[in-house]
Amino acid sequence: MTERIDLATPAEKAARLLSAMNMDFFDVYVVYSRSLSIGVLGRGIRDAKSRIDLGLGVRAYKNRGLGVAFSQSLEPEDVEETVDRAVRFARAAQPDPYFKGIPGPSKAEDVPGLCDKEIICLTLEEAGELVKRMIDAAEEVRHGAMYRGGMTVGYSRSYLLTSTGVSIEMEKTSVSAFIEPTYRRGDDVGSSYEYDYAVSLAEIDFEAIGRKAAEKALEQFGSRRVKSGTLPIILTPDSTSSFISGLMLAISGESAVKKRTFASRFLGKQIAPQILEIVDDGTIPGAVASSPYDGEGVPRRLTKVVGEGRILTFLHNSYSAGIAGVETTGHARRDYRGYVGAGPTNVRVKPGDSSLEEMISETRKGVLVTNASLIPNMVSGEFSSTIDEGFLIEGGEKKHPVKNLMVGGRILEMYRNIELISKEGRTIGKGFFFPSIKISRVKLAGG
Amino acid sequence: MKDLLEEIVDEGLKAGASFCEARFFEERGNRISVENGVAKALGFGIVRGVGVRVIVDGRWGFASTNVLTRRSLKEALADAVGAAKSLAKRHGEEAEIIDVKPAVDTVHHKVRVNPEDVSPEEKVKAMLEIEKAARVFSERVKDTFVSYRDVSTKVIVCNSLGTLVEETTPRIHVHCTVISKRGGNMQVGFESIGNVSGYELVERIHPEEFSGRAAEKAVRLLDANPPPRGIYTVVTDPKVGGLFVHEAFGHNCEGDLVFGGQSIVSDRMGKRVASDMVSIIDDPTQLRNGHYVYDHEGVRAKKHIIVKDGVLVSFLHSLESAAKMGCEPQGSARAQSHHHPPIVRMSNTYFAPGDMTLEEILEDIKLGVYLSGSQYGYVETQKGQFTCKVEQAWLIEKGELTVHLRDVAINGATLEALKNVTAVGKDLKIEMPGICGKSGQGIYVDAGAPHMRFEGIVVGGRK
Repeated sequence: MTERIDLATPAEKAARLLSAMNMDFFDVYVVYSRSLSIGVLGRGIRDAKSRIDLGLGVRAYKNRGLGVAFSQSLEPEDVEETVDRAVRFARAAQPDPYFKGIPGPSKAEDVPGLCDKEIICLTLEEAGELVKRMIDAAEEVRHGAMYRGGMTVGYSRSYLLTSTGVSIEMEKTSVSAFIEPTYRRGDDVGSSYEYDYAVSLAEIDFEAIGRKAAEKALEQFGSRRVKSGTLPIILTPDSTSSFISGLMLAISGESAVKKRTFASRFLGKQIAPQILEIVDDGTIPGAVASSPYDGEGVPRRLTKVVGEGRILTFLHNSYSAGIAGVETTGHARRDYRGYVGAGPTNVRVKPGDSSLEEMISETRKGVLVTNASLIPNMVSGEFSSTIDEGFLIEGGEKKHPVKNLMVGGRILEMYRNIELISKEGRTIGKGFFFPSIKISRVKLAGG
Repeated sequence: MKDLLEEIVDEGLKAGASFCEARFFEERGNRISVENGVAKALGFGIVRGVGVRVIVDGRWGFASTNVLTRRSLKEALADAVGAAKSLAKRHGEEAEIIDVKPAVDTVHHKVRVNPEDVSPEEKVKAMLEIEKAARVFSERVKDTFVSYRDVSTKVIVCNSLGTLVEETTPRIHVHCTVISKRGGNMQVGFESIGNVSGYELVERIHPEEFSGRAAEKAVRLLDANPPPRGIYTVVTDPKVGGLFVHEAFGHNCEGDLVFGGQSIVSDRMGKRVASDMVSIIDDPTQLRNGHYVYDHEGVRAKKHIIVKDGVLVSFLHSLESAAKMGCEPQGSARAQSHHHPPIVRMSNTYFAPGDMTLEEILEDIKLGVYLSGSQYGYVETQKGQFTCKVEQAWLIEKGELTVHLRDVAINGATLEALKNVTAVGKDLKIEMPGICGKSGQGIYVDAGAPHMRFEGIVVGGRK
């Protein structure tokens, strides 16, 4: 599904135009991507889609002022207008006192396994067959659900060129699948979802996704309200993922170093018991969030983010690193629209020595949280979220599903109250790893 | 471009499509970011391309491209036809559309001041003035941000029903965020304004009222308390009511989710779904952020009454959902860009006003919570469970607002909540310009409500 679109020529043209405009720094980022997707709605497959996307983005700096422009057309006149706007805007922008420059070239180790030929060669007909398998597997568990979901495969190639001498071309494939069956029994609803994503098609088990989604949906029948109280909760890997990603966002880039997040004050400080260790590794072969270089051409690396419960570093791009007076950690993120942020790659929480089964059996009364968005207010760190899917635990046993139950508090209090981490967990896309986590006490608001 | 789109549609029919649509999309926009008194970044972007959608052998196929050559568009058509054919033998939802009278029209929304005629320097100056009003509000103000965006969106819809409609819509958005700080306590306040408009919208902003209000919220939240937990009578302001009507109920009335089995009201047409005080309207004809004249299938927009006096009277429809459900098309299909097929979307959604004042709504509440300003909300339509996060709240004691509260969210079952509406104010405001996400597509919307009273809502908090 790929064709060889020339990215270098428009990028070099833009760079030549920028060089002649007397900018202090600039970079040009061009991306070509192609994706195929199959959509599911209602009783089964609904549509098939094919997309070609192409874009060129420019960052230009003059007297520390930033001008950004992008175009989805690589026609010469559009490239010229894009450069012209970026230059004009850089001149109109005011000096950003924190800006120190953009990175120069450095050589990264190759990260193998990021491009899957099977994905590149996949046809929509074959993709339709994979989605059918996912639905059939759900139907085998229980016939008659209404569905929402689908799958997407994609290929992308990017080219980065900077005034500091960086010239990098990277390519990558991706596949994602998702299905959400809904069963009805009178007024009662059983609904849940399952997903997976990866670099290579072979890593996705479509039947397992369909089967698990249906099983999880059926478990949601008979949900009941739970009274307000302060109880332990157990996060399964999918809710651990949400819990951890809030912290990762809060320690990323400009907001973290400009002291605008709840975690800003805690660099070098203990936020959780010593059992908590989190690493970020953008160099894992074949992993979904791996790449040889970040969005500014800086080599990816393994970064221990939390060690023995202590925040060891923030995740930087060159801008935030410049403010903090440290080296960038290679966490720049960008697309062709020009703005560069910072964020995690493959996040891995170190397994503990407990197990989900033990956590449940040792809980007299608590809630098993299988799906919840636990992202707090990034500034205050306070949160109040609905447990979208969960189960009451009583006498060490998983009982009925819960409904209209909310969890709230300060997210860092939840980190302090981490009691157990399981040895088993879920690996996603060969890169992310999330275990189950038991939190000793959390405030719950219910019926 | 129109000729090329018509050529593609003709070729689609020749290739065996029973329906073919070629849609050109172009969005040009400028951005300015001001942070703590420095306009540190200015941006510009062009999004442009064509999406081709077909029905072949009872299946939908869709393809899009940014490359606007005849050859590339023909390849996109071939991809779309191939996509539909690849599903021809698969079990699934049969693709169909309702036959409508074709529309041929060109619409340009008039503006007083074209943003392209205002220099970047002048825009920067205006944003700095807006930002300054927040920064000087108090010593407790730590950081101030103002973002400006002007965007002009051109859509040309050409389809095999004979429709050929072009609409160009200008929009302006200004957003102010303020972070306040005292010791380790940091809070955030924000304000935003946005509409289908030219630059005149910016000229009408009074910085002290707009960004000053964001700063005031951020600073006052430093002294606010955590909310109580449990079930309360709540009074919602126009923004919280707007968030609720859009998230908790509106999505359930989108025709594609209804025929796709994802709505809790799919079998409630003509039945009572709310207290008889409640009427719900979606109106793309109102000049608010969700305004348009034609939807992205080329159907003329009209005002939709969804719930009348508590009874469900209509859903929102695309050509497809109208055909599936035997209804009239409602002009409610829109797409984020050429890369997305049109799906059913809300526009300007609101609770219709009643006849009470806020004082009358509050007066007989012994203990409750007054909710003000919306942060975000989401709904699991198939379960009918909603969550709304609000900016700030106050305890209601004996009809009076007393303790200031922060980090408040509410949760509940949509239909239970709507049946428990016991008061509706007369002070309707539709002032929530934003972008709503659905199925990976973001679309311009607005929402609002008068003050309203709901009984038995779960309030989450850490007290």
